[in-house]
Amino acid sequence: MAMKLPSSSKTAARYLTIFIHYLAQYIKTKMAYRWDFFIHIFTEFLQQSVSLIFILIIFSKVPAIQGWTRDQVLFIYGFFLVPFGIYSGFFNHLFDVPEKYVLQGEFDRILVRPINAWYQVVVETMRPELLVSMIVGIIIMIHSGSRMGLVPVWWDIPLAAVLVAGAALVYAGVYTFLASLGFWTEGNLGLMPMVYNLSQYGRYPMTIYRGPVRFLLTWILPFAFVGFYPATIVMHRYEYMGYALLTPVVGIVSFVIAYLFWEAGVKRYRGTGS
Amino acid sequence: MKLIEARGLTKEFRIFSRSEGVMGAFRDLFHRRYRILRAVDGIDFAVDRGEMVGYIGANGAGKSTTIKMLTGILVPTAGTVSVNGYVPHKDRESYTRGIGVVFGQRSQLWWDIAVIESFKLLRRIYDVPREDFRRRLQQFDDILGLSGLLNLPVRKLSLGQRMRCDLAAALLHNPAILFLDEPTIGLDVLAKSKIREFLKEINNEYKTTVILTTHDLGDIEALCPRVAIIDRGKMLYDGSVDNLYSQWGQDKLEDIVKRIYMGQKPTSGSAGGGWDIG
Repeated sequence: MAMKLPSSSKTAARYLTIFIHYLAQYIKTKMAYRWDFFIHIFTEFLQQSVSLIFILIIFSKVPAIQGWTRDQVLFIYGFFLVPFGIYSGFFNHLFDVPEKYVLQGEFDRILVRPINAWYQVVVETMRPELLVSMIVGIIIMIHSGSRMGLVPVWWDIPLAAVLVAGAALVYAGVYTFLASLGFWTEGNLGLMPMVYNLSQYGRYPMTIYRGPVRFLLTWILPFAFVGFYPATIVMHRYEYMGYALLTPVVGIVSFVIAYLFWEAGVKRYRGTGS
Repeated sequence: MKLIEARGLTKEFRIFSRSEGVMGAFRDLFHRRYRILRAVDGIDFAVDRGEMVGYIGANGAGKSTTIKMLTGILVPTAGTVSVNGYVPHKDRESYTRGIGVVFGQRSQLWWDIAVIESFKLLRRIYDVPREDFRRRLQQFDDILGLSGLLNLPVRKLSLGQRMRCDLAAALLHNPAILFLDEPTIGLDVLAKSKIREFLKEINNEYKTTVILTTHDLGDIEALCPRVAIIDRGKMLYDGSVDNLYSQWGQDKLEDIVKRIYMGQKPTSGSAGGGWDIG
C-alpha cells in the first residue's frame, strides 16, 4: 500500500489537471458562442421555475399532501436540485454514448488515449454551467427551511454533503448504465427521456406514490435517494432515517454495478467494432 | 526482440443478416441470423524499430481492422500480438502513451477549439514536459508550416491543413510507433508531398516506426522500402518494394499492385521472396 500510494496520488493529480484543462477549454469555446451559453443557463432557470410554480399552485389549493406541508415539499425540491445540478453538469450527456461514440465510432479516438475511457467521455461532454441548479436549490432550502423554523445544527452541512455525494452517484450510476446499453444496441434506445421523467419523481414525498412505484424508485431505479429520502433527514424529520442514511451506500452500489457494466460494454465494443 | 510482433492474428465479425421485407423485419425480432466474416485471417507480421512499412490492400481487405488490433481498439479473435512490449488491448492506458494514431477519415483534434489549445490539452494528457513540447512544436512548424493555423479552430481548417495538424498532434509525445490509416486520403499533390517529407524527417530523426495504410502508391514509393499486401484477410506479400519490381519486371508499382489484387502471381517464376503461397 505504501508503495502504491505515490503513484495513485500522482494519477489523481494528473486526472485533476486534465479536468481543469478541459474545463478551461470548455469555457473558451462557450465564450465563442456567448449567447448560446447564456440562453442555456436561462432555460435551465426557466425549467426550474416552472416546477417551482407547479408546487406553489398545488399548495395554494391544499394545506398539506399526505402529511407534507408546502415548505417541506419545497425543501425536498431544493435538496433535489443539488445532486440534480451535478448530474446535469457532468452525467446527463452520457446519453451521447450510444449514438455519437458507439454508432459513429468516436469511441475509437477515446480508446487510443492514455486516460480512462469513462472519464474522457464525462469531461468531453460536461456542461458545468448547469451546476447553477445547485445554487437555486440551496436558496430554496434556506428559504423554506427558515419558513418552517428549522434550527440548523453543526452536522447538517457535512451530513448534507455526504448525502449529496451519494445522490449524485445514484445519478452517475443510472446514466452510466443506460450509456453502456449503447454498446449492445449500437444506437439510441430512447430510454433516456423516460428515465429522466422517472428521476423527477424523486423530488416528491414517496408517501404520495403507490407501493409498486415506491418500490421501483427505491430499489430498481433508486431515484428516491436523489431527493426525498436524504432531504427528510436534512430537514430534521426522522421517520425515514434508515433510508436516508442508506443514500451513500445506494450511490456507491449503483455506480459500481453500472461501471462494471460499462467495462463489459467497452470490451464488447472492442470485440465487434468495424 | 521485434517492436511489433503478431502471430496468427485473426479477427472475426458476426454480421447480422437482415431478412427482406416487413415480414422479414418482424421475423428478425425473434430469430436473428448471423454470418461470420473473417476480416483478418491468421496474419503473421513483424516490424523492427525504425522501419517504415506500407500496408496496402483493396477496399475491405482488412487493413483498418489490422491497424485497430495493433492500436488496441479491437480485441483479436485469435492469435497473439505484442507491440512495444505490451499486449495492446490488455494494457491500453499504458500502451497508448507510446503510440501515435492518425485516422485520415476522422480528426483526433477537438472540433471547436483552436489547434494550439488541442495541442496543449494533448500535452497534459500525455504528460509531455513543457520544454520538449515547445521544441517539437517548433520543429513541426518548420516542416509543416503550422504557424498560420495554430489559432484557428479545427472546423475552419481545410482537409490538408487539418491533416498536418493531426500529424503534429499524434507526434507531440514522441511515440515509438506512428500508425497512419490513409493519411493522404483526399489531399492535393502539394499537401501530400509535404506530409511525406515530414514523415521521412521524423523517421530519420527520432527513429519513429511508421505503419501506414494507403491507396496512394505514391506514398509507398516515397516512404516505404517495405510493403505488406493484404487481400481478403490474408497476407499476400510482405517484403521489399524493390523485390516486387524485380519479380514483376520493370513495371510501374501501380500496375504490379493492380495485378496482385486481381489474383495474379509474378511471371518470373521465382517464388519465395516474400510470397505467401498458401
